[in-house]
Amino acid sequence: MNAFALGVEDPTQTHHWLWPEGYELLWAGGSQVIIIGLLVWKVGPMVKKSLSDRTARVQGELDSSAQSLATATGEAADVRQALGDIDEERRRLMAEADEQATAVLESGRARLEEEVAELEAKAGSDIEAAGGRVSDELRGEISRLAAAAADRVVERSLDDETQQRLIEDYIQKVGASA
Amino acid sequence: MSANEARIDGYARGLFEVAKAEGTLDEVEDELFRFARSYESSDELRNALSDDQIPPAKRQAIVEDLLGGKATPTTVQLISMVVGSGHGRDLPAIVDRMVERAASSKDLEVAEVRAAVELTSDQQDRLRAALANATGKNVDLKVVVDPAVLGGLVATIGDVVIDGTVRTHLDQLKSRL
Repeated sequence: MNAFALGVEDPTQTHHWLWPEGYELLWAGGSQVIIIGLLVWKVGPMVKKSLSDRTARVQGELDSSAQSLATATGEAADVRQALGDIDEERRRLMAEADEQATAVLESGRARLEEEVAELEAKAGSDIEAAGGRVSDELRGEISRLAAAAADRVVERSLDDETQQRLIEDYIQKVGASA
Repeated sequence: MSANEARIDGYARGLFEVAKAEGTLDEVEDELFRFARSYESSDELRNALSDDQIPPAKRQAIVEDLLGGKATPTTVQLISMVVGSGHGRDLPAIVDRMVERAASSKDLEVAEVRAAVELTSDQQDRLRAALANATGKNVDLKVVVDPAVLGGLVATIGDVVIDGTVRTHLDQLKSRL
């Protein structure tokens, strides 16, 4: 049965559809103050510490990041420096290689010119020697042919009359040589 | 004097004495001289007469075949004796020594004359006189016909050589060439 319908006041029921009764507010308010106080007293430091720790952690991370950034920046600088050094070294090596190549070329050219000069001199002397040999051989051949021709001419010209004349000339000369 | 020299000298003296005893010294001497020169100039003859593998009788038969009727019997016998005794190699030296001995016995100097052709008796007499005049010695002329001289004469008297051969003139010409 409905209490309203009966018109009987129910003490468990508030008078307002929204607000509780006064004592309930009192009790509820006190309880809340106690709870909030307990929370502030007990949980507050924990939360505060937690937040402080978190802040410190975040700060640490930020510091670490900054350190990492600085390290990375330094390494980047080192790398750039190294790159610069490598470029410099490469240029130095290239210059050195060019210098050596130039020196080798100069040396090779000088040696080549020297060898060419030697070859020319040797070829000249060989040609001269060959010419001399040919000349000597030619002279020898001419002498041999001339001697053979002289033999034949003399043998043909030595008839009896000539033989007798040679004998008489010899006797005359020997006799006159005393 | 070595043993070989002594042997050559002994044979030369033997040949000389035999020829002298036979009374044919001049003829034998001349024939021996000519045979010795032929021996020197012929390899075939030299090999045949100095080959110890050929029996002595065979070597002597060769000599008799070559000289039979062309030389006096004394000459043939003397050469056969030398060849048969195995001294054919020494024959020219023996003969030369014998000729020297013969010339010396007549107070003459041997003059070996080489000519391309034979000399007439008149030429030999005049040459003998000319050589005697040139050297101051009486000479025993020994003429050798040697075609190698080509023409003219060359006379050798002891160590003296009088060369007028065409061969020598030709050789000098070749040397100059």
